[in-house]
Amino acid sequence: MTNTTPVRADAGENGRKDATNMAENDEERLARLRGSLARARAARESEKHSAPPDRPAQPGGDSGMSLAMRAGSEFVAAIIVGAGIGWTLDHFIGTNPLFLIAFFFIGVAAGVWNVIKLTSPKGGGSERDSRLSQPEAADKGLRRSGPRSANNAWRGASGGENSAVGPDDDED
Amino acid sequence: MATEAGPEIHPIEQFSIHPIVPIHIGHYDISLTNSGLFMLLAVGLTCLMTAIAARGGAGVPTRMQALGEMAYEFTAGMVRSAAGEAGMRFFPFVFSIFFFVLLCNLLGFIPFAYTVTSQIIITAALALLVFFTVVMYGLKEHGAHFFKMFVPEGVPIYILPLVVAIEIVSFLSRPVSHSVRLFANMLAGHITLYVFGAFVIMLGGASAILKPAAILPFAMAVGLEALELLVAFLQAYVFAMLTCMYLNDALHPGGH
Repeated sequence: MTNTTPVRADAGENGRKDATNMAENDEERLARLRGSLARARAARESEKHSAPPDRPAQPGGDSGMSLAMRAGSEFVAAIIVGAGIGWTLDHFIGTNPLFLIAFFFIGVAAGVWNVIKLTSPKGGGSERDSRLSQPEAADKGLRRSGPRSANNAWRGASGGENSAVGPDDDED
Repeated sequence: MATEAGPEIHPIEQFSIHPIVPIHIGHYDISLTNSGLFMLLAVGLTCLMTAIAARGGAGVPTRMQALGEMAYEFTAGMVRSAAGEAGMRFFPFVFSIFFFVLLCNLLGFIPFAYTVTSQIIITAALALLVFFTVVMYGLKEHGAHFFKMFVPEGVPIYILPLVVAIEIVSFLSRPVSHSVRLFANMLAGHITLYVFGAFVIMLGGASAILKPAAILPFAMAVGLEALELLVAFLQAYVFAMLTCMYLNDALHPGGH
């Protein structure tokens, strides 16, 4: 995007030059424009390629409410599936409460793991970074003014946890 | 419960399925039900919208073409952000699922219409379709490497079986939460709307002192209608977004 301004400036300069000596400048101008166009295209391409990994999973439009609903349902679903697997194993092997109990607890662990995966940003390292940067930002007074909107936009570890845990309690 | 001649509340009755055009082939009952009718309606409306939108191809888009382009851009943005550029091969799949769910949700708002997505069998079928697409595509593209998704790196060998079991249960719980979320939202929303609507009628038919109080559940029903409209759109969006995220696992297993 930033490359477009020099292109325009070049074009303007050339336009004025063209008025004075047209014939000799045509080749030169074409080469220059071609060069800046290639540069702009390269910048745009690299931007396009680097964008998906940088961005978090959801670019926005996903409210805290739906995140809370997701966290609740994923937690419950994992427990149900775990208990279901345990019950089925018991039913076929005949060790009645053994696998049900074991897989119930595995289901609870999987549910917690689901919620952790849901609320932590993509990439393991960035979680720590966002925790560290939170106090710094507060010192500067950047986050103080609008912690809610900042949380929604940022979707960092702490923000995600806050918005997930609050309404989740209500649901239970 | 109700006053002498007041209506009885049957909030679940609206979800009953009954045949409209009975068709029997052999021992199988494949009648067109009210559920099937609204499914066909949702598919038909989506096809009609996209067909009209794609008809012109004019430089200055018509309103329908602009709508079609917006629908495309919105879904393509969703697929790209969740599954990357490689995910675009699943674009038709995600687009179909998104608009089927969205139109089923929205058609349910028409009075006397049937809300298809309030039946768990419908949402479960869609979620299982996504689930098996992920598993089959993942196995086809990556072979045994697909199972690396269940084996995180850097875990000591003595707790690895436990971690793998947790990961597998977590993976298997996806279609459950995927389907239950949409189904529960639509079911609960329509029950709530019905109950508050019934309160209006009950209070309206009550004694003269209680009659003005009917305005309270009426106001609530109006507010709920707006909320349910939001939920209908949001749940369709979440359903499609999760589809993209699960497909992302099939495209890049193990890499978060």
